[in-house]
Amino acid sequence: MASVTFSNIGQSYDLSPDESTWALRPIDVEFKSGLTYGLVGPSGSGKTTMLNLISGIVKPTQGQIYFDETDVTKMSIAQRNVAQVFQFPTIYKQMTVFGNLAFPLSCRKWSKNKIKDRVESIADQIGLGETLGKSANKLRADEKQLVSLGRGLVRDDVTALLMDEPLTVIDPQYKAELRRKIKKIVAGKGITIIYVTHDQYEAMTFADEILVMNVGSVVQRGQPEELFERPNSRYVGNFIGSPAMNFIRGVVDQGQVSIAGQRLEVSTSVTTLGGAEIEVGIRPEYVPVMEAQGPNVITAEHISVSDMGSTRVLNCKIGDDIIRAKILRDQPVPKLGPIYLHLPSEKLLVYQDGEIV
Amino acid sequence: MGINFYKRLFLLPGLLLLIAIIIFPLLFSIRVSFSSWNVSRSGLDFVGGANWARMWSDADFWGAMLRLLNFGVVTTSIQYILGFMLAHYVWQGIKSGRLFRLIWLVPLMTTPSIMAIVWRSIFREDIGAANGLLKSVGLSTIGWSTEIVPAMFTIYVAEIWQWTPFMFLFLLAGLLILPKEPFLAAEIDGSSPTRTFWRITLPLMAPISIGAILIRLIESSKIFDSIFVLTSAGPGNATETPTYFLWKRSLTEFQIAYGATLALTYLIVMIIVLTIVAKVLTYISRPRGW
Repeated sequence: MASVTFSNIGQSYDLSPDESTWALRPIDVEFKSGLTYGLVGPSGSGKTTMLNLISGIVKPTQGQIYFDETDVTKMSIAQRNVAQVFQFPTIYKQMTVFGNLAFPLSCRKWSKNKIKDRVESIADQIGLGETLGKSANKLRADEKQLVSLGRGLVRDDVTALLMDEPLTVIDPQYKAELRRKIKKIVAGKGITIIYVTHDQYEAMTFADEILVMNVGSVVQRGQPEELFERPNSRYVGNFIGSPAMNFIRGVVDQGQVSIAGQRLEVSTSVTTLGGAEIEVGIRPEYVPVMEAQGPNVITAEHISVSDMGSTRVLNCKIGDDIIRAKILRDQPVPKLGPIYLHLPSEKLLVYQDGEIV
Repeated sequence: MGINFYKRLFLLPGLLLLIAIIIFPLLFSIRVSFSSWNVSRSGLDFVGGANWARMWSDADFWGAMLRLLNFGVVTTSIQYILGFMLAHYVWQGIKSGRLFRLIWLVPLMTTPSIMAIVWRSIFREDIGAANGLLKSVGLSTIGWSTEIVPAMFTIYVAEIWQWTPFMFLFLLAGLLILPKEPFLAAEIDGSSPTRTFWRITLPLMAPISIGAILIRLIESSKIFDSIFVLTSAGPGNATETPTYFLWKRSLTEFQIAYGATLALTYLIVMIIVLTIVAKVLTYISRPRGW
């Protein structure tokens, strides 16, 4: 295991001089040894590029990559000794499951007995013990993905385990099972894992720390809770959480925030923002429905309900903005029309020009 | 009239063509093989298994068969190895790849009989380039058409020269459609280029290789024109293959009934041999553990 450090790493596929168009804009990032990181962001945000830079599939346009103190920028893929699981299950279809799992070890010239023991042990851990003699090509997609993962896990010396949206092509009925299995397998192994996904739920389940990416930059990094509780931008607020964070336009007047003419107490100091247009952000999870007016209770227009299974989302209108409140399924659904919503001051965040104040 | 009528109606032209060019000649040949049809007596009389018994004990025919087996295995193997090397070389991305592809296709575009004439002129014992070269480096000349091994060598060389580009083209097409991911994964798994070739590239190419090898075995078994031009099956019958043997018996000596027997035997042997070859190659390329 090793830490992975990007020092001023940038990547442009078309060698454009304009850094704003690069797949990965020059960046300094450190992934600490033994932790699990989730890289999230929409397609084209630079997640896979970052992963491929670590494994060496892509050589950076500029900057250095270090594994611990060693500069690996110019090292070949094999020398970097990372394991990578791709989006599509990558198996050696002309080999059995055993052959697939044994391949990285025979490349390292392990003895046959040692390989056999190791492969059988890993196969049992990932639930492929019964399929070792089968042709890998005849497995289901989720099993094939486990084989890909297994090839990374059999090596006991990998610098880092890189996973590039490994669940994307898996059928929904196997997805949860595979996610549970992967989590169980990697837990407690002390492997540095970098997990790319566009599914925030997946990232929050797996990662000790999440990096949210957008157009080639890391816009925020932090623990899942931190990203949920205190997104530093409108972008992160929208990306993390389901439904997305509420952003309601308002103004700061005489040191106080007001939205649609209703005053609100916020925990952020806004004294320097006199007269400015701002947005108030709050998670739908923190917006309870009230019976009557009170401190930080606003009046909104309840316009519809979205059913999300175990919860329901009340869609309400305040001014020209929509505010969503999440309630548990066993809670009564208020009638459409005027509704009182409590916006607790400790959960309210203030944003200006899309950035947190 | 129901839809089935039209289905059958539209199938009819193809079916008639099939009957005319395959089924009828095959059945007719079987019938002829039990007759004594030859240059002096035409007609479908019945002589039982006389032709089949003669064929069974015809050492020249079986000698030609064995020669063909040797010829097919050796030339196809060399063509496969050379073709794979060239295809792999181009696939790895050499500069001027397009030019090389074109150059390597020239032999394939040459008419076999013309190509054989060119090779014959090279291997002519008196004024040929091959002997000229040997003389120029102080070696003794070789009787390319009068000695058995050199005569066979000329045919092997001509065949390999002409058909290696076919293997090259076929295998290059196969290499170009291979997925990239297993190669990336192999690199990540720490595989050396040699190991990647033996464990990834070659097995992934197995279905394409089997197809190419079978096509070449079938094609090489039909060799006639280059033997006709280069050695006329000589010296003696040292370079005679079944097709040449068949042609001589059937179309120069007009032993029609015996020729039909030989043709049918040849067909049966080829089906059996190629089935075995296909099974063996498929078995060799089955998914493995190590």
